[in-house]
Amino acid sequence: MAAKFKQLPEELQLATSAHVKYIQSLDTRKDEYDYWLTEHLRLNGLYWGLTALHLLGHPEALPRTETIDFVLSCQHESGGFGAAPGHDAHMLSTVSAVQILAMVDAFDELESRGKGKAQVGKYIANLQNRQTGTFAGDEWGEEDTRFLYGAFNALSLLGLLHLVDVDKAVDHIAACANFDGGYGVSPGAESHAGQIFTCVAALTIAGRQDLVDKERLGRWLSERQIAGGGLNGRPEKKEDVCYSWWVLSSLEMIGKTHWIDKDQLIAFILRCQDPERGGISDRPGDMVDVWHTVFGLAGLSLLQYPGLQPVDEVYCMPKSTIARVLGR
Amino acid sequence: MADQGGSQHGIARSSRVRTEEQRLRDLEKIRKYRELEDQVRSRVSQRDYSPETFQLTSKLLRFNPEYYTIWNVRRRCLISGSFSKPSAGSSCSKGSSSFSPSDTTTTSSGSYSSSSSTATPPNPASQTVGKSGITADPDAPATDDTKQDLDLIRSELGFTIPLLLQSPKCYWIWSYRLWILRQAIERLPVATARRIWEEELGLASKMLGRDRRNFHAWGYRRHVVEQLESSSLQGSSLVEAGFEYTESMIKSDLSNFSAWHSRSKLIPRLLDERAADGTARRAFLDKELDKIREAINVGPEDQSLWYYHQFLVLSLVGHDRDQTFIPELSLQDRVGYLKHEIEEIKDLLEDYQDIKLIYEGLFEYTIYVCQLEGRRPNASEQADLAAWLAKLKELDPMRNGRWTDLERDLAATAG
Ligand SMILES: [Zn+2]
Repeated sequence: MAAKFKQLPEELQLATSAHVKYIQSLDTRKDEYDYWLTEHLRLNGLYWGLTALHLLGHPEALPRTETIDFVLSCQHESGGFGAAPGHDAHMLSTVSAVQILAMVDAFDELESRGKGKAQVGKYIANLQNRQTGTFAGDEWGEEDTRFLYGAFNALSLLGLLHLVDVDKAVDHIAACANFDGGYGVSPGAESHAGQIFTCVAALTIAGRQDLVDKERLGRWLSERQIAGGGLNGRPEKKEDVCYSWWVLSSLEMIGKTHWIDKDQLIAFILRCQDPERGGISDRPGDMVDVWHTVFGLAGLSLLQYPGLQPVDEVYCMPKSTIARVLGR
Repeated sequence: MADQGGSQHGIARSSRVRTEEQRLRDLEKIRKYRELEDQVRSRVSQRDYSPETFQLTSKLLRFNPEYYTIWNVRRRCLISGSFSKPSAGSSCSKGSSSFSPSDTTTTSSGSYSSSSSTATPPNPASQTVGKSGITADPDAPATDDTKQDLDLIRSELGFTIPLLLQSPKCYWIWSYRLWILRQAIERLPVATARRIWEEELGLASKMLGRDRRNFHAWGYRRHVVEQLESSSLQGSSLVEAGFEYTESMIKSDLSNFSAWHSRSKLIPRLLDERAADGTARRAFLDKELDKIREAINVGPEDQSLWYYHQFLVLSLVGHDRDQTFIPELSLQDRVGYLKHEIEEIKDLLEDYQDIKLIYEGLFEYTIYVCQLEGRRPNASEQADLAAWLAKLKELDPMRNGRWTDLERDLAATAG
């Protein structure tokens, strides 16, 4: 494949250095209104940016010490993390914090300078609904399979999955399954690529892939690829780089990645990059953002695009990080 | 993690180079925004959840409805002062209750009225917004406390409407709205709470009228229905009404998979509640099959329709015995049904030769017949299956890996 992509026209080459610069620039845009409007996503954004840099082979492009300092400055007494200092703790930012600390190998700092692993685990475990097994995002929020996946993701990285009722959670995921093999946000909800990713990834972490109807789900997922090579998130919707990742990673988890046209998907993702200023957008010609940048790169990595570090399809983090943390 | 705000969807890439004038304008916007944010934060740091803080959250959330922490501040303001009594399990002591709901009405009415021209009744907000103090509501609860809570709840529901219309996919607004609705259950007499929840169905329908596939709105509708059916609102089943709703959504747009999906989930309950016997269930199945076949005749390239057809066929094959709504059919009848469907699909080939979904349906259902009868495909079926696979490879090379796998499986069953 490497040789093949060397022959592609220039606009279909990955603009690695532009992407690195783009991600580095994200925290310097303080004169842009959007920078302030998106503060509630700062920690998530750091996870997306850092993962992208790791996949690009430039993990040092964000300074490690400042990264750790910032993450720890978002932690509350409860153990949970907010999106930025002064923001309330939430499952989503807590998961991002754990993922970032795992990537920069800083669980020790969490122990010595933060509130410690055990407290983070306790915060997450307290968000489980012990009756239904599913999770809420915070003390106020609604329940959603996104939060269940987030909990499994972070707790397994911390080695604390035993703090929650895994079997109950698995039962809940099973109740979200639909006749088409997919999963919805809660029992009764329509299948949706994002929710399929969260459910299949959570089942994979729990070692319960036996519950997945792989033939049927693989069929549904493979039908998400549409003319132009991109993948959509539901029938009759438009293609999108972020949905492409959720569909692709789910296909990878159930061993059916070969059911879509990989070369066309690679070409679609590359068409979504801004080769001059860096970054990847949802569709060709749209505004880039760090969210689509990381999922675009993760997709390319999973498709073995040359020069990228291998990504773990369950955690959306470098395989090398997962191997180190989980001792694989 | 799944989708959330802050990502750019469908916004055209621009030069990203601002003029100095634009830059200065941005700086001014940032200054105003941060000033407001600082005010809220300094109050929160002093645990000041007063009406003034509450009003500041209204302002800030209109600038940025994704700011989840500010929604939480707003909740704390309500719990610690504005609601008549602390909610169960809340550690907040009862603060000053001088904060009258008309304050919130004032703060929200400006932006509410700007969108009210697009609002259609029943609208939860329209009944109190603009009124101050006494509400001439026939169902108004007797005590001052509950009246105050009712006004507040209605006012909060009104506050979120323009924000939802502006950001229909913002998770945090939907989440806050549901929290307010739960307060209605906790704090109001059942009949009053029920009316508020009933009005929510109107909102969900309105949002779906604007975007028929809005995932949040479908989920919201499902949740509202569940609550209305629950004992906490002295509810009873709404399955018939829900089924009718899918009917009307499908009528206006055949390819609305969200509506077909919702239908598939309602059918088992619908038939149970109708206490349908074997004959009634068969008649129901026949009607659904006719309906979806007719739709497929018009739009054979529409995946949504085939997915629903698959759902019906799967209920015959009985992959999931708990879910099937026609449990009493004999094996012979099931096979008969499947063969009939296969013949009907074959008829489509007269009009459409190049639609891969037709060949996929034929292939899949023929395999099901063999599975049901517990046998390998016979020679003529083998020939058909091979021909359909060849056609699938030709028409849909994108999924060649899948066709190759099916070919391999087929060769294995042929022995
Ligand atoms: Zn996207």
